[in-house]
Amino acid sequence: MTKLEAKNIVKHFDHNGNQVLALDGINLKVDEGDFVCIVGPSGCGKSTFLNIIAGLEKPNSGEVLLNGKAISTPGPDRTMVFQEGALFPWLKVIDNVEFGLKMAGIPKDERAQISQRYLDMMQLTKFANSYTYQLSTGMKQRVAIARALVMDPEILLMDEPFAALDAQTRDLLLVELQLIWERTKKTILFVTHSIAESVILGNRVVVFKNRPSKIKKEFVINYRRPRLAEDQNLIKYQQDILAELRTEVKAQIKGEFEE
Amino acid sequence: MKGKITAKRIAFYAGIVVVWQIVFSLNIWTENIFPSPIQVVEDLAYGAADGSLFFGIATSMWRLIVGLGISIAAGITLGIFMARIESVNQTIGSLVLGLQSIPSVAWVPMAFLWFGLSDAGIIFVTVASSMFAVTINTYSGMKNVPPSYIAAARNMGVSEAQLITNVMLPAAFPHLISGFRQGWAFAWRGVIGAEIIFSFLGLGFLLNVGRELNDISQVIAIMLVIMIIGILIDGFIFKKIERKVMSRWGLA
Repeated sequence: MTKLEAKNIVKHFDHNGNQVLALDGINLKVDEGDFVCIVGPSGCGKSTFLNIIAGLEKPNSGEVLLNGKAISTPGPDRTMVFQEGALFPWLKVIDNVEFGLKMAGIPKDERAQISQRYLDMMQLTKFANSYTYQLSTGMKQRVAIARALVMDPEILLMDEPFAALDAQTRDLLLVELQLIWERTKKTILFVTHSIAESVILGNRVVVFKNRPSKIKKEFVINYRRPRLAEDQNLIKYQQDILAELRTEVKAQIKGEFEE
Repeated sequence: MKGKITAKRIAFYAGIVVVWQIVFSLNIWTENIFPSPIQVVEDLAYGAADGSLFFGIATSMWRLIVGLGISIAAGITLGIFMARIESVNQTIGSLVLGLQSIPSVAWVPMAFLWFGLSDAGIIFVTVASSMFAVTINTYSGMKNVPPSYIAAARNMGVSEAQLITNVMLPAAFPHLISGFRQGWAFAWRGVIGAEIIFSFLGLGFLLNVGRELNDISQVIAIMLVIMIIGILIDGFIFKKIERKVMSRWGLA
């Protein structure tokens, strides 16, 4: 069943008075329970695309359907994990995790029950009463994932959530995220510039072409899970995608020289 | 380290008192122009004994607290509207900057005409001198909320009211605290200035009495009290809160 469908999404940006075409008709379907990665060079508009799905930005044309219904505003049915975490420093970890539930008017006892489950899942129970400045970047991203999951979203959106992490922490979280996906059966749309990340995580890897962005190609990664970062068999998939992207990166560098 | 700084300070103030006493002993000026430190302390003791000093402190503090309370409530509200509605910022915002530049005592004639010789008049001056500092800091605090906080909150489905009270105001809290600190400093100047001119109870009134009685030691004594209250409130309330907030918000 199709969970999410993006239909012909077009987005312009105003750049020094010039209209720049950022997204040139993106079509994407994500099935229920699927794990889809979008990979592309930096600045290719993949984050903009994710923001449009989240309802944080509006497309110039095209529409986003969730369970067949068009969406236009942000909502807790599409929670996002941001690259920088975007946790609230004035709240304790547990209050950060419960934030969305509290705003939705869920009673305290029920909130505590729900948050406990995700604090456990993300191994945060010991840190429930810490403030965010006391946490490492990796711990912060665990909190951000828990905060997004407590809302029980229809689809979990992730915008380069591991980009700022050190390699060891990232490898650990890459495995954990797969386990969480298997446990919660959530539909996940994950944006990254890292090909390695995309083949470890994705059932499908969608390659974005440079600005104006289009979907260039899609790869299906049929490989057992949990996939580990050091698994040599994944390199073959990486190479295929890299070959596809290399022309894009070259085109981008060339473009930047000409600007 | 901290003990060293304290020792340095004690030595410094003790030095001032010693130099003061030496200059007094040189008899360059008469006693009614240049009193000795002992005379000033005696004056304080006298004021404390007959209760007039404490009554003066209590009166001024009460006006300060009421005035600053109104300033903070009204200043934050106005700041929120300026930050969230661009037309309000473009119109009222420019007026706020203008009003902020009016020295506190310049509000006194208006306060006198509107409220007469009353607490209300002095509180009005206090509010007028301190409110706009709170407004300006609230505004800039809300404008400087990291966009990712707002995106995250909207992503979780908050309403506009929830966004302001549960995200933007707490996120702006470090700015709000600086606003309160500035507001309090302006309010304190406003209270004392207004009391001097109104000459209606409070520490400012006692200063004025000192002038009318040609009692320089009372004048210096009251000035010392005003300064010490200032140091205590700033150091023990605002600096402490500010330090705590800065570390929790990850800014220190």
